Amino acid sequence: MTFDEKDQAYEIDSEMEADVGIFARLRVGIQNWIDDIRYAKGPARKDLLGRFILFIPAVASIFTILMILLLLVYEATPIFAHPDGGLGIIFDSTWAPQLPDNPSYGILIFIVGSFTTTFLAIGIAVPLGLGGAIFLSEFCPAQIRTPLKMIVEMMAAIPSIVYGLWAFVVLRPFMDDAFAPFVQTNPLTSWMPWFQGSLKNGYSLLTGGVILAIMLLPTVVTVSYDALQSVPGTYREASFALGATKSETAKQIVLSAALPGVGAAVVLSLGRAVGETMAILMVTGNNFGIPFTLFDQCYVMTSIIANQMGAAYNRPIWRSALFSVALVLMIMSVIFTLIAKLFIRWGLKTRGMS
Amino acid sequence: MEERPLRSCEDEEAYPEESSAGVGPPEIPLTTRISTYLRTYTKSKRHFTDLLFKIGLGLCALLVIAPFFLILIEVSSTGFAVVFGSGEGEGLEFFTTYPGGGLTGGLAHAFIGTLSLAAVAGIAGIPISVLGAVYINEYTEAGIVRSAIEFAADVLAGIPSIVFGAFGLALIVDVLNFGKGLMAGGLTLAFMMIPTILRTTQEALRAVPMSLREASLALGATRWTTTWQVTVRSAFPGIVTGVLLAFGRIIGETAPLIFTAGNSLRAPTELFGAGSWVASVPYTIYLYTIDPRPYLHPKAHAAALALMMIVFTIDLIANYISIKFTRRLV
Repeated sequence: MTFDEKDQAYEIDSEMEADVGIFARLRVGIQNWIDDIRYAKGPARKDLLGRFILFIPAVASIFTILMILLLLVYEATPIFAHPDGGLGIIFDSTWAPQLPDNPSYGILIFIVGSFTTTFLAIGIAVPLGLGGAIFLSEFCPAQIRTPLKMIVEMMAAIPSIVYGLWAFVVLRPFMDDAFAPFVQTNPLTSWMPWFQGSLKNGYSLLTGGVILAIMLLPTVVTVSYDALQSVPGTYREASFALGATKSETAKQIVLSAALPGVGAAVVLSLGRAVGETMAILMVTGNNFGIPFTLFDQCYVMTSIIANQMGAAYNRPIWRSALFSVALVLMIMSVIFTLIAKLFIRWGLKTRGMS
Repeated sequence: MEERPLRSCEDEEAYPEESSAGVGPPEIPLTTRISTYLRTYTKSKRHFTDLLFKIGLGLCALLVIAPFFLILIEVSSTGFAVVFGSGEGEGLEFFTTYPGGGLTGGLAHAFIGTLSLAAVAGIAGIPISVLGAVYINEYTEAGIVRSAIEFAADVLAGIPSIVFGAFGLALIVDVLNFGKGLMAGGLTLAFMMIPTILRTTQEALRAVPMSLREASLALGATRWTTTWQVTVRSAFPGIVTGVLLAFGRIIGETAPLIFTAGNSLRAPTELFGAGSWVASVPYTIYLYTIDPRPYLHPKAHAAALALMMIVFTIDLIANYISIKFTRRLV
């Protein structure tokens, strides 16, 4: 073989390597595997087998996601194929699956309920949590930073049912006895349209939103705190050197450098808020209707699943409608995770940090 | 990085010129300090805004941590009366007796139930997630497979717990036909453990220096031996931390158990079938809280207190392990 021939053969080889499809590569890979296992001896064989066995748990998480999606779609198909259902249930606001004739499966009120409580909670939690994170990261004396961070971490660890218990026992009566009479008799606030309506025992959109906001605070604080801390100290020093005050530096330099991380914090807490079940189930009143004021009751997606899945267990269409709600929840949580990832990638690209 | 003091221009002015003449940190009288502060912050509109901003942020931080104390006070003020009381189902009986007629007794069924659910979840969930993390960190290069698995774990961490409950009902109770009870509830919780353990194990493995693996491989060890005898052994504290954090998370979960675990007033007696229906602490708190009978509310508070203490203890141990042992590595 001359040099030319060798060269040519090499070129063909590399061309083939570039062009082979995924199946051919897979086939070669598997062939190599089988050969390896065949000719390997002693510890080498154990090594290969171990590698093969470990592969199964590694794909377990992907497999779980796919299985959840498949099962939810499978369980939700009957309602989308049923004459009473179809895709229109997403825009239908009448939920009456228990009627023997002419049942109705509209899930709009749950979607609206989830969105209103979530945005109320985000509206309270993000400014507060961001303020707390900036305080912790920029202004807090070192002696009280560690205990404050520990408390925030412990807040994240409190089970949601304990928040629910507190909201039920303390927050609900507070809204009923103190807050609602105060804002409704006070001439400053009584004219506001969102404070109209009567509060029934404290079960309301507002109570749900407030407890949800409290539950989101740890997420907002920790994720934004990490984002603020990842801003290099030199940025701050440069800003101080230009004569900026501490608050100007925090607002205009640190916060804007940490913006992607803060965005990720907001999206992550959005996902948490939509998926939260127990606390909100106990205080929103679970009334079938679209809330128009803060004191109206509402019904969120997670609550309807928790409340009716047991009763609907043996009624295929009703149960399928509940699974369609779960499917909507699942899709929303996947989208939120994706957006949070995009925020972090944006941060990596434009700021060079996560 | 974290502890580095950052001073802006006005901080320097808080120390008068003459104080630098003395040896060691000089004592500044409080009145001087206050007056310097006042002088600094009223110097211009910008400085005054700075002060207002600081005060506002401090208030935000206070409001953020206030609910923690409100909850702790409410739960413990009622809960301690039950845990240290001496009536029926109070004191030690709260943890050791089953509920009698009208739910008057203790909550032993819930504590045993939560323990057994956590055990089932751990037996199923820990191996899957730890082995998976070992595979993607030790056997794959960064690429499509690894990022797909990591993304799947992140999505799994974000899925609402009630969706896990619905999934458990559809898959484990119905398709696999396990029926409600200990196995169905425990396996549903096992799925929820995967993301936490997977990501923390991965972090722990990544922290093991490459030189350790290379040294082992250079001595002729296979990758399998290296992984188990060297890498996993040195990452072990980190893995334990992840496992504990995952337990802390699933112990407080209610929503996945509503339709998978069933409920019962006794300890479970079998793994499958009607005898395996099992109560859990969070679900019992929920039932007792919304119950109209007022004497059940203190029990709910006490159970919540116990649950919080269990979760805090687990987290504390996890933190302790991660601080104590991971420092030694690097």
